[in-house]
Amino acid sequence: MSHASLNVEIGRIRDLAPGIREFSLRRSDGADFPVFSGGSHTVLSLPLGDRLHRNPYSLLGDPSVRDTWRIAVRLQETSRGGSRWLHEAAREGMRLDISAPVNLFALNRTGRRHILVAGGIGITPILSQARELARLGADFEVHYAYRAPEFGVFADELEALAPGRIHHYVQSRREQIEFGSLLAGRPLGTHFYICGPAGMVAASLNAGKSLGWPDSHLHSEQFLAPSGGEPFDVKLALSGHRFSVPSDLSLLEAIEQQGVDAPYLCRGGACGQCELEVLGADSELIHHDLYLSADERASGTKIMPCVSRLKGGCLTLNL
Amino acid sequence: MSTPAIKSQPVYTALEWDRTGTHHVLFVAADEAALASRLWAQPPAGPITLILQHADGAPMTSWLAERPASVHTIAAATLELALKALGDTLRAAQMGTRLYLVGPEDAIWQAARLADGLGMSRDEMRLMQAGTRARPVFCVHCRTVTRGVHTHIVPCSGCGRALFVRDHFSRRLGAYMGFQIDAEAPGDIPAAEVIYP
Repeated sequence: MSHASLNVEIGRIRDLAPGIREFSLRRSDGADFPVFSGGSHTVLSLPLGDRLHRNPYSLLGDPSVRDTWRIAVRLQETSRGGSRWLHEAAREGMRLDISAPVNLFALNRTGRRHILVAGGIGITPILSQARELARLGADFEVHYAYRAPEFGVFADELEALAPGRIHHYVQSRREQIEFGSLLAGRPLGTHFYICGPAGMVAASLNAGKSLGWPDSHLHSEQFLAPSGGEPFDVKLALSGHRFSVPSDLSLLEAIEQQGVDAPYLCRGGACGQCELEVLGADSELIHHDLYLSADERASGTKIMPCVSRLKGGCLTLNL
Repeated sequence: MSTPAIKSQPVYTALEWDRTGTHHVLFVAADEAALASRLWAQPPAGPITLILQHADGAPMTSWLAERPASVHTIAAATLELALKALGDTLRAAQMGTRLYLVGPEDAIWQAARLADGLGMSRDEMRLMQAGTRARPVFCVHCRTVTRGVHTHIVPCSGCGRALFVRDHFSRRLGAYMGFQIDAEAPGDIPAAEVIYP
Protein backbone atom coordinates (compact mmCIF):
# COMPACT_ATOMS: atom_id res chain seq x y z
CA MET A 1 0.00 0.00 0.00
CA SER A 2 1.42 3.32 -0.97
CA HIS A 3 0.92 6.55 0.94
CA ALA A 4 0.98 9.95 -0.63
CA SER A 5 3.60 11.76 1.36
CA LEU A 6 4.50 15.42 1.51
CA ASN A 7 7.97 16.72 2.27
CA VAL A 8 7.79 19.61 4.69
CA GLU A 9 10.12 22.01 6.42
CA ILE A 10 9.67 22.82 10.07
CA GLY A 11 8.87 26.52 10.35
CA ARG A 12 8.30 28.20 13.65
CA ILE A 13 8.56 26.16 16.87
CA ARG A 14 6.75 27.63 19.86
CA ASP A 15 6.83 26.40 23.46
CA LEU A 16 3.25 26.83 24.62
CA ALA A 17 3.49 25.35 28.11
CA PRO A 18 5.78 22.95 29.93
CA GLY A 19 5.86 19.84 27.75
CA ILE A 20 3.71 21.29 24.92
CA ARG A 21 5.24 22.55 21.69
CA GLU A 22 3.62 23.83 18.56
CA PHE A 23 5.15 23.33 15.12
CA SER A 24 4.37 25.18 11.93
CA LEU A 25 5.04 23.17 8.78
CA ARG A 26 5.48 24.43 5.21
CA ARG A 27 5.87 22.36 2.07
CA SER A 28 9.47 22.13 0.97
CA ASP A 29 8.47 22.75 -2.67
CA GLY A 30 6.53 25.87 -1.71
CA ALA A 31 3.23 24.43 -2.98
CA ASP A 32 -0.06 24.67 -1.12
CA PHE A 33 -1.12 21.92 1.25
CA PRO A 34 -4.19 19.87 0.39
CA VAL A 35 -7.48 20.93 1.95
CA PHE A 36 -8.43 19.10 5.13
CA SER A 37 -11.64 18.85 7.14
CA GLY A 38 -12.07 19.53 10.85
CA GLY A 39 -10.76 16.65 12.99
CA SER A 40 -8.11 15.49 10.48
CA HIS A 41 -4.62 14.32 11.36
CA THR A 42 -1.35 13.74 9.54
CA VAL A 43 1.27 11.07 10.23
CA LEU A 44 4.82 12.38 10.71
CA SER A 45 7.82 10.21 9.79
CA LEU A 46 10.47 11.03 12.36
CA PRO A 47 14.14 10.10 11.84
CA LEU A 48 15.02 8.31 15.07
CA GLY A 49 18.52 7.00 14.69
CA ASP A 50 18.51 4.15 12.20
CA ARG A 51 14.78 3.80 11.91
CA LEU A 52 11.74 5.84 10.96
CA HIS A 53 9.16 6.40 13.62
CA ARG A 54 5.66 7.38 12.54
CA ASN A 55 3.30 9.30 14.82
CA PRO A 56 -0.14 10.79 14.11
CA TYR A 57 -0.83 14.42 15.06
CA SER A 58 -4.06 16.36 14.59
CA LEU A 59 -4.04 19.39 12.32
CA LEU A 60 -5.09 22.23 14.59
CA GLY A 61 -4.91 25.19 12.23
CA ASP A 62 -7.36 26.83 9.92
CA PRO A 63 -8.10 24.59 6.90
CA SER A 64 -8.31 27.67 4.70
CA VAL A 65 -4.67 28.56 5.42
CA ARG A 66 -3.05 26.52 2.67
CA ASP A 67 0.62 27.45 3.05
CA THR A 68 1.04 26.39 6.68
CA TRP A 69 -0.10 23.43 8.76
CA ARG A 70 0.06 23.53 12.54
CA ILE A 71 0.41 20.67 15.00
CA ALA A 72 0.97 20.60 18.76
CA VAL A 73 2.94 17.86 20.47
CA ARG A 74 2.85 16.91 24.11
CA LEU A 75 5.98 15.26 25.46
CA GLN A 76 4.88 11.76 26.45
CA GLU A 77 6.44 10.59 29.70
CA THR A 78 6.64 7.09 28.30
CA SER A 79 7.74 8.27 24.84
CA ARG A 80 9.45 5.65 22.72
CA GLY A 81 11.20 8.51 21.03
CA GLY A 82 8.69 10.28 18.79
CA SER A 83 7.47 13.11 20.98
CA ARG A 84 10.90 13.29 22.67
CA TRP A 85 12.57 13.79 19.27
CA LEU A 86 10.13 16.59 18.44
CA HIS A 87 10.77 18.24 21.80
CA GLU A 88 14.53 17.84 21.95
CA ALA A 89 16.02 17.27 18.51
CA ALA A 90 13.67 19.02 16.08
CA ARG A 91 14.91 22.40 14.84
CA GLU A 92 13.44 25.05 12.58
CA GLY A 93 14.44 24.38 8.98
CA MET A 94 14.60 20.58 9.34
CA ARG A 95 12.78 18.52 6.73
CA LEU A 96 10.33 15.68 7.34
CA ASP A 97 7.97 13.48 5.38
CA ILE A 98 4.34 13.62 6.46
CA SER A 99 1.21 11.94 5.14
CA ALA A 100 -1.75 13.47 3.35
CA PRO A 101 -4.55 14.37 5.76
CA VAL A 102 -6.71 11.57 7.15
CA ASN A 103 -9.94 12.15 9.04
CA LEU A 104 -11.20 9.55 11.51
CA PHE A 105 -13.00 12.19 13.59
CA ALA A 106 -15.18 14.01 11.11
CA LEU A 107 -18.09 16.26 12.01
CA ASN A 108 -21.58 15.07 11.23
CA ARG A 109 -22.86 17.65 8.77
CA THR A 110 -26.51 16.73 9.36
CA GLY A 111 -26.18 17.48 13.08
CA ARG A 112 -28.19 20.44 14.34
CA ARG A 113 -26.06 21.12 17.40
CA HIS A 114 -22.55 20.09 18.34
CA ILE A 115 -20.94 19.71 21.75
CA LEU A 116 -17.13 19.54 21.57
CA VAL A 117 -15.08 18.39 24.54
CA ALA A 118 -11.30 18.49 24.84
CA GLY A 119 -9.09 17.18 27.62
CA GLY A 120 -5.53 18.55 27.63
CA ILE A 121 -3.70 18.07 24.32
CA GLY A 122 -6.97 16.56 22.98
CA ILE A 123 -7.80 20.16 22.11
CA THR A 124 -5.94 19.85 18.79
CA PRO A 125 -8.62 18.11 16.65
CA ILE A 126 -11.38 19.93 18.55
CA LEU A 127 -9.81 23.23 17.51
CA SER A 128 -10.04 22.46 13.79
CA GLN A 129 -13.57 21.11 14.24
CA ALA A 130 -14.55 24.35 16.02
CA ARG A 131 -13.07 26.37 13.16
CA GLU A 132 -15.12 24.40 10.63
CA LEU A 133 -18.32 24.79 12.66
CA ALA A 134 -17.70 28.51 13.10
CA ARG A 135 -17.20 28.88 9.35
CA LEU A 136 -20.46 26.99 8.68
CA GLY A 137 -22.30 29.17 11.19
CA ALA A 138 -23.33 26.02 13.05
CA ASP A 139 -24.69 25.84 16.58
CA PHE A 140 -21.84 24.56 18.79
CA GLU A 141 -20.13 24.88 22.14
CA VAL A 142 -16.70 23.81 23.40
CA HIS A 143 -15.83 22.40 26.81
CA TYR A 144 -12.07 22.55 27.40
CA ALA A 145 -10.51 20.83 30.42
CA TYR A 146 -6.86 21.19 31.40
CA ARG A 147 -4.57 20.64 34.38
CA ALA A 148 -3.77 24.21 35.40
CA PRO A 149 -4.29 27.69 33.91
CA GLU A 150 -0.96 27.64 32.04
CA PHE A 151 -2.00 24.46 30.18
CA GLY A 152 -5.03 26.08 28.55
CA VAL A 153 -2.77 26.82 25.63
CA PHE A 154 -5.42 27.39 22.96
CA ALA A 155 -7.96 29.17 25.17
CA ASP A 156 -7.47 32.56 23.48
CA GLU A 157 -7.70 31.15 19.97
CA LEU A 158 -10.91 29.33 20.89
CA GLU A 159 -12.44 32.40 22.51
CA ALA A 160 -11.78 34.39 19.36
CA LEU A 161 -13.55 31.71 17.28
CA ALA A 162 -16.67 31.44 19.36
CA PRO A 163 -16.97 34.15 21.97
CA GLY A 164 -19.12 33.10 24.90
CA ARG A 165 -19.41 29.51 23.74
CA ILE A 166 -16.21 28.19 25.34
CA HIS A 167 -16.39 26.66 28.80
CA HIS A 168 -13.19 26.11 30.79
CA TYR A 169 -12.55 23.48 33.43
CA VAL A 170 -9.27 23.85 35.31
CA GLN A 171 -8.30 20.76 37.25
CA SER A 172 -6.05 22.67 39.70
CA ARG A 173 -9.16 24.63 40.70
CA ARG A 174 -11.04 21.36 41.20
CA GLU A 175 -13.28 22.08 38.22
CA GLN A 176 -14.36 19.11 36.19
CA ILE A 177 -16.88 18.27 33.54
CA GLU A 178 -19.98 16.48 34.83
CA PHE A 179 -20.92 14.52 31.75
CA GLY A 180 -24.27 13.41 33.16
CA SER A 181 -25.50 17.00 33.34
CA LEU A 182 -23.63 18.14 30.23
CA LEU A 183 -25.44 15.56 28.08
CA ALA A 184 -28.87 15.51 29.75
CA GLY A 185 -31.89 17.14 28.13
CA ARG A 186 -30.12 18.04 24.88
CA PRO A 187 -32.35 18.58 21.86
CA LEU A 188 -32.75 15.90 19.25
CA GLY A 189 -30.09 16.08 16.52
CA THR A 190 -27.23 16.97 18.90
CA HIS A 191 -23.80 15.41 18.27
CA PHE A 192 -21.07 14.95 20.86
CA TYR A 193 -17.33 14.88 20.10
CA ILE A 194 -14.56 14.21 22.60
CA CYS A 195 -10.78 13.90 22.44
CA GLY A 196 -8.87 13.45 25.66
CA PRO A 197 -7.46 10.96 28.14
CA ALA A 198 -8.89 7.42 28.03
CA GLY A 199 -10.69 7.68 31.38
CA MET A 200 -12.38 10.92 30.43
CA VAL A 201 -13.49 9.56 27.05
CA ALA A 202 -14.89 6.40 28.63
CA ALA A 203 -16.75 8.35 31.33
CA SER A 204 -18.37 10.63 28.75
CA LEU A 205 -19.44 7.79 26.45
CA ASN A 206 -20.93 5.87 29.37
CA ALA A 207 -22.85 8.96 30.47
CA GLY A 208 -24.16 9.43 26.93
CA LYS A 209 -25.24 5.81 26.59
CA SER A 210 -27.05 5.80 29.91
CA LEU A 211 -28.96 8.91 28.78
CA GLY A 212 -30.04 7.04 25.66
CA TRP A 213 -27.66 8.68 23.18
CA PRO A 214 -27.19 6.38 20.17
CA ASP A 215 -23.69 5.43 19.01
CA SER A 216 -24.12 7.48 15.84
CA HIS A 217 -24.17 10.71 17.88
CA LEU A 218 -21.20 9.93 20.14
CA HIS A 219 -17.84 10.60 18.46
CA SER A 220 -14.45 10.17 20.05
CA GLU A 221 -10.82 10.04 19.09
CA GLN A 222 -7.84 8.75 20.97
CA PHE A 223 -4.47 7.86 19.59
CA LEU A 224 -2.45 5.32 21.44
CA ALA A 225 1.31 5.11 21.38
CA PRO A 226 2.51 1.58 20.77
CA SER A 227 3.67 0.30 24.12
CA GLY A 228 6.70 -1.92 24.29
CA GLY A 229 6.57 -5.45 25.60
CA GLU A 230 8.21 -8.83 25.54
CA PRO A 231 10.06 -9.69 22.35
CA PHE A 232 8.44 -12.34 20.16
CA ASP A 233 8.93 -14.07 16.82
CA VAL A 234 6.90 -13.61 13.69
CA LYS A 235 6.28 -15.80 10.66
CA LEU A 236 4.63 -14.24 7.61
CA ALA A 237 2.82 -17.14 5.95
CA LEU A 238 2.52 -15.62 2.47
CA SER A 239 5.91 -13.98 2.04
CA GLY A 240 7.82 -16.54 4.11
CA HIS A 241 9.60 -13.91 6.23
CA ARG A 242 10.70 -14.92 9.73
CA PHE A 243 11.96 -12.33 12.16
CA SER A 244 11.86 -11.17 15.77
CA VAL A 245 10.10 -8.13 17.19
CA PRO A 246 12.31 -6.53 19.83
CA SER A 247 10.71 -5.07 22.92
CA ASP A 248 10.95 -1.44 21.78
CA LEU A 249 9.51 -1.87 18.26
CA SER A 250 5.86 -2.30 17.36
CA LEU A 251 4.83 -5.29 15.27
CA LEU A 252 4.01 -2.98 12.37
CA GLU A 253 7.41 -1.29 12.56
CA ALA A 254 9.14 -4.69 12.64
CA ILE A 255 7.19 -5.82 9.55
CA GLU A 256 8.17 -2.61 7.75
CA GLN A 257 11.84 -3.17 8.65
CA GLN A 258 11.64 -6.44 6.71
CA GLY A 259 10.71 -4.41 3.64
CA VAL A 260 7.20 -5.85 3.63
CA ASP A 261 4.52 -3.39 2.58
CA ALA A 262 1.78 -3.68 5.20
CA PRO A 263 -1.32 -1.49 5.20
CA TYR A 264 -1.68 1.27 7.79
CA LEU A 265 -3.32 4.63 8.27
CA CYS A 266 -3.44 6.14 11.77
CA ARG A 267 -0.79 4.03 13.53
CA GLY A 268 -2.62 4.72 16.76
CA GLY A 269 -5.00 1.77 17.13
CA ALA A 270 -8.01 3.78 16.01
CA CYS A 271 -8.74 3.30 12.32
CA GLY A 272 -8.60 -0.44 11.69
CA GLN A 273 -6.69 -0.11 8.42
CA CYS A 274 -3.71 -2.25 9.50
CA GLU A 275 -5.76 -5.25 10.65
CA LEU A 276 -3.98 -8.54 10.00
CA GLU A 277 -5.25 -12.10 10.16
CA VAL A 278 -3.66 -14.28 12.82
CA LEU A 279 -3.08 -17.86 11.65
CA GLY A 280 -1.34 -19.05 14.79
CA ALA A 281 -0.17 -17.72 18.14
CA ASP A 282 1.98 -19.48 20.74
CA SER A 283 0.73 -17.29 23.54
CA GLU A 284 -1.77 -14.61 24.37
CA LEU A 285 -2.42 -11.73 21.95
CA ILE A 286 -2.05 -8.45 23.81
CA HIS A 287 -4.58 -6.13 22.21
CA HIS A 288 -4.11 -2.41 22.85
CA ASP A 289 -6.24 -1.04 20.01
CA LEU A 290 -9.59 0.75 20.20
CA TYR A 291 -10.90 -0.88 17.03
CA LEU A 292 -11.60 -4.59 17.50
CA SER A 293 -14.83 -5.61 19.20
CA ALA A 294 -14.80 -7.85 22.27
CA ASP A 295 -15.93 -10.75 20.08
CA GLU A 296 -13.17 -10.15 17.55
CA ARG A 297 -10.60 -10.06 20.34
CA ALA A 298 -11.95 -13.27 21.80
CA SER A 299 -11.77 -15.00 18.42
CA GLY A 300 -7.97 -14.68 18.45
CA THR A 301 -7.91 -14.31 14.67
CA LYS A 302 -7.21 -10.59 14.26
CA ILE A 303 -4.54 -8.19 15.41
CA MET A 304 -3.85 -4.49 14.88
CA PRO A 305 -0.04 -4.51 14.52
CA CYS A 306 0.38 -0.75 15.05
CA VAL A 307 -0.20 -1.05 18.80
CA SER A 308 -0.80 -4.72 19.67
CA ARG A 309 1.63 -7.60 20.12
CA LEU A 310 2.16 -11.18 21.32
CA LYS A 311 3.11 -12.09 24.87
CA GLY A 312 5.91 -14.33 23.64
CA GLY A 313 6.72 -17.25 21.35
CA CYS A 314 5.78 -17.16 17.67
CA LEU A 315 2.99 -15.34 15.85
CA THR A 316 1.97 -16.49 12.36
CA LEU A 317 0.26 -13.90 10.17
CA ASN A 318 -1.57 -14.21 6.86
CA LEU A 319 0.68 -11.68 5.15
CA MET B 1 -39.81 -12.80 4.66
CA SER B 2 -38.38 -12.96 1.17
CA THR B 3 -35.08 -11.29 0.44
CA PRO B 4 -35.48 -8.55 -2.15
CA ALA B 5 -33.58 -8.90 -5.40
CA ILE B 6 -32.52 -5.27 -5.18
CA LYS B 7 -30.41 -4.16 -2.24
CA SER B 8 -32.06 -0.77 -1.90
CA GLN B 9 -35.49 -2.27 -1.26
CA PRO B 10 -36.23 -1.97 2.47
CA VAL B 11 -36.62 -5.12 4.54
CA TYR B 12 -38.84 -4.70 7.59
CA THR B 13 -38.67 -6.85 10.65
CA ALA B 14 -41.23 -7.19 13.42
CA LEU B 15 -41.13 -4.02 15.50
CA GLU B 16 -39.66 -4.19 19.00
CA TRP B 17 -39.14 -1.43 21.56
CA ASP B 18 -35.59 -0.09 21.71
CA ARG B 19 -35.03 -0.20 25.45
CA THR B 20 -31.78 1.79 25.24
CA GLY B 21 -33.96 4.87 24.66
CA THR B 22 -35.28 7.12 27.42
CA HIS B 23 -38.26 8.59 25.53
CA HIS B 24 -40.37 6.87 22.87
CA VAL B 25 -42.44 8.31 20.04
CA LEU B 26 -44.70 5.88 18.20
CA PHE B 27 -46.12 7.09 14.89
CA VAL B 28 -48.89 4.82 13.60
CA ALA B 29 -50.66 5.09 10.26
CA ALA B 30 -52.20 1.62 10.05
CA ASP B 31 -54.35 -0.61 12.18
CA GLU B 32 -52.26 -3.58 13.17
CA ALA B 33 -54.04 -5.08 16.16
CA ALA B 34 -51.62 -7.91 16.87
CA LEU B 35 -48.62 -5.58 16.85
CA ALA B 36 -50.41 -3.06 19.08
CA SER B 37 -51.29 -5.75 21.60
CA ARG B 38 -47.76 -7.10 21.63
CA LEU B 39 -46.09 -3.68 22.05
CA TRP B 40 -48.53 -2.46 24.72
CA ALA B 41 -48.12 -5.68 26.68
CA GLN B 42 -44.53 -4.75 27.59
CA PRO B 43 -43.98 -1.02 27.25
CA PRO B 44 -40.45 0.36 27.77
CA ALA B 45 -39.39 2.60 30.63
CA GLY B 46 -39.75 6.33 30.03
CA PRO B 47 -42.45 8.57 28.58
CA ILE B 48 -44.27 7.34 25.45
CA THR B 49 -46.05 9.52 22.92
CA LEU B 50 -48.47 7.89 20.46
CA ILE B 51 -49.27 9.79 17.26
CA LEU B 52 -52.08 7.91 15.57
CA GLN B 53 -53.59 8.60 12.20
CA HIS B 54 -57.19 7.91 13.09
CA ALA B 55 -60.25 9.40 11.41
CA ASP B 56 -62.79 11.12 13.66
CA GLY B 57 -65.55 8.74 14.64
CA ALA B 58 -63.68 5.65 13.41
CA PRO B 59 -63.94 2.62 15.70
CA MET B 60 -61.39 2.32 18.50
CA THR B 61 -58.35 0.37 17.47
CA SER B 62 -56.09 -1.73 19.66
CA TRP B 63 -53.58 1.13 19.56
CA LEU B 64 -56.06 3.20 21.58
CA ALA B 65 -57.97 0.53 23.45
CA GLU B 66 -54.99 -1.32 24.88
CA ARG B 67 -52.55 1.50 25.51
CA PRO B 68 -51.28 2.10 29.05
CA ALA B 69 -52.92 5.08 30.73
CA SER B 70 -49.64 7.01 30.86
CA VAL B 71 -49.22 7.15 27.07
CA HIS B 72 -49.55 10.68 25.74
CA THR B 73 -51.81 10.33 22.71
CA ILE B 74 -52.31 12.57 19.71
CA ALA B 75 -54.97 11.42 17.23
CA ALA B 76 -54.79 13.02 13.79
CA ALA B 77 -57.52 12.66 11.18
CA THR B 78 -55.19 12.72 8.18
CA LEU B 79 -51.60 11.75 7.36
CA GLU B 80 -50.78 15.41 6.85
CA LEU B 81 -51.98 16.29 10.36
CA ALA B 82 -50.18 13.28 11.82
CA LEU B 83 -46.93 14.39 10.19
CA LYS B 84 -47.42 17.90 11.51
CA ALA B 85 -47.94 16.51 15.02
CA LEU B 86 -44.79 14.39 14.60
CA GLY B 87 -42.74 17.45 13.62
CA ASP B 88 -44.03 19.41 16.62
CA THR B 89 -43.26 16.50 18.93
CA LEU B 90 -39.74 15.91 17.62
CA ARG B 91 -38.83 19.61 17.67
CA ALA B 92 -39.48 19.56 21.41
CA ALA B 93 -37.82 16.17 21.96
CA GLN B 94 -34.44 15.49 23.47
CA MET B 95 -31.54 13.12 22.87
CA GLY B 96 -32.45 9.64 24.04
CA THR B 97 -35.71 9.70 22.09
CA ARG B 98 -36.51 6.70 19.89
CA LEU B 99 -38.93 6.91 16.99
CA TYR B 100 -41.08 3.99 15.78
CA LEU B 101 -42.91 4.25 12.48
CA VAL B 102 -45.72 1.83 11.60
CA GLY B 103 -47.80 2.08 8.45
CA PRO B 104 -47.77 2.07 4.66
CA GLU B 105 -44.38 2.86 3.13
CA ASP B 106 -45.57 6.22 1.85
CA ALA B 107 -46.45 7.33 5.38
CA ILE B 108 -43.50 5.90 7.30
CA TRP B 109 -40.90 7.18 4.83
CA GLN B 110 -42.39 10.66 4.82
CA ALA B 111 -42.12 10.51 8.60
CA ALA B 112 -38.54 9.20 8.40
CA ARG B 113 -37.55 12.07 6.10
CA LEU B 114 -39.05 14.54 8.54
CA ALA B 115 -37.01 12.99 11.36
CA ASP B 116 -33.87 13.04 9.16
CA GLY B 117 -34.36 16.74 8.67
CA LEU B 118 -34.45 17.25 12.43
CA GLY B 119 -31.08 15.52 12.80
CA MET B 120 -32.21 12.05 13.84
CA SER B 121 -30.08 9.12 12.68
CA ARG B 122 -31.20 5.72 11.52
CA ASP B 123 -30.13 4.04 14.76
CA GLU B 124 -32.72 6.17 16.56
CA MET B 125 -35.67 4.99 14.46
CA ARG B 126 -37.35 1.73 13.59
CA LEU B 127 -39.76 1.27 10.71
CA MET B 128 -42.33 -1.38 10.00
CA GLN B 129 -44.54 -1.64 6.96
CA ALA B 130 -48.24 -2.21 7.71
CA GLY B 131 -51.51 -1.67 5.88
CA THR B 132 -51.59 -1.09 2.14
CA ARG B 133 -48.60 -2.17 0.04
CA ALA B 134 -49.25 0.74 -2.35
CA ARG B 135 -46.03 2.43 -3.47
CA PRO B 136 -44.99 6.03 -3.77
CA VAL B 137 -43.31 6.24 -7.21
CA PHE B 138 -40.69 8.80 -8.19
CA CYS B 139 -40.68 9.70 -11.88
CA VAL B 140 -37.07 9.85 -13.05
CA HIS B 141 -38.15 12.06 -15.95
CA CYS B 142 -40.11 14.89 -14.26
CA ARG B 143 -39.30 14.16 -10.57
CA THR B 144 -42.91 14.03 -9.48
CA VAL B 145 -43.88 11.47 -6.84
CA THR B 146 -47.10 9.61 -7.68
CA ARG B 147 -48.63 8.22 -4.49
CA GLY B 148 -50.79 5.19 -3.76
CA VAL B 149 -49.65 3.10 -6.72
CA HIS B 150 -51.07 -0.43 -6.71
CA THR B 151 -50.07 -1.44 -10.23
CA HIS B 152 -46.74 -2.27 -11.85
CA ILE B 153 -47.36 0.33 -14.54
CA VAL B 154 -48.84 3.71 -13.74
CA PRO B 155 -49.31 7.06 -15.49
CA CYS B 156 -47.10 9.70 -13.84
CA SER B 157 -49.21 12.28 -12.03
CA GLY B 158 -46.75 14.93 -13.19
CA CYS B 159 -45.92 14.32 -16.83
CA GLY B 160 -48.35 11.56 -17.79
CA ARG B 161 -45.68 9.14 -19.01
CA ALA B 162 -46.47 5.45 -18.48
CA LEU B 163 -44.03 4.49 -15.71
CA PHE B 164 -42.76 1.03 -14.93
CA VAL B 165 -42.50 0.72 -11.13
CA ARG B 166 -39.18 -0.77 -10.08
CA ASP B 167 -38.12 -2.30 -6.74
CA HIS B 168 -35.28 0.22 -6.51
CA PHE B 169 -36.05 2.39 -3.48
CA SER B 170 -34.64 5.76 -2.44
CA ARG B 171 -34.53 6.37 1.29
CA ARG B 172 -33.81 10.04 0.65
CA LEU B 173 -36.90 10.46 -1.53
CA GLY B 174 -38.99 7.85 0.26
CA ALA B 175 -40.16 6.43 -3.07
CA TYR B 176 -39.63 3.69 -5.64
CA MET B 177 -38.11 4.51 -9.00
CA GLY B 178 -40.42 4.72 -12.01
CA PHE B 179 -39.28 5.10 -15.60
CA GLN B 180 -41.02 5.35 -18.93
CA ILE B 181 -41.87 1.86 -20.10
CA ASP B 182 -42.43 2.73 -23.79
CA ALA B 183 -39.40 4.96 -24.30
CA GLU B 184 -37.99 2.73 -27.04
CA ALA B 185 -41.27 1.57 -28.54
CA PRO B 186 -43.72 4.45 -28.09
CA GLY B 187 -47.23 3.33 -27.36
CA ASP B 188 -46.21 -0.23 -26.54
CA ILE B 189 -47.62 -0.28 -23.02
CA PRO B 190 -48.61 -3.59 -21.42
CA ALA B 191 -51.78 -3.71 -19.34
CA ALA B 192 -51.25 -2.60 -15.76
CA GLU B 193 -51.70 -5.34 -13.17
CA VAL B 194 -52.39 -4.82 -9.50
CA ILE B 195 -49.39 -6.24 -7.67
CA TYR B 196 -49.12 -3.90 -4.69
CA PRO B 197 -52.46 -4.46 -2.91
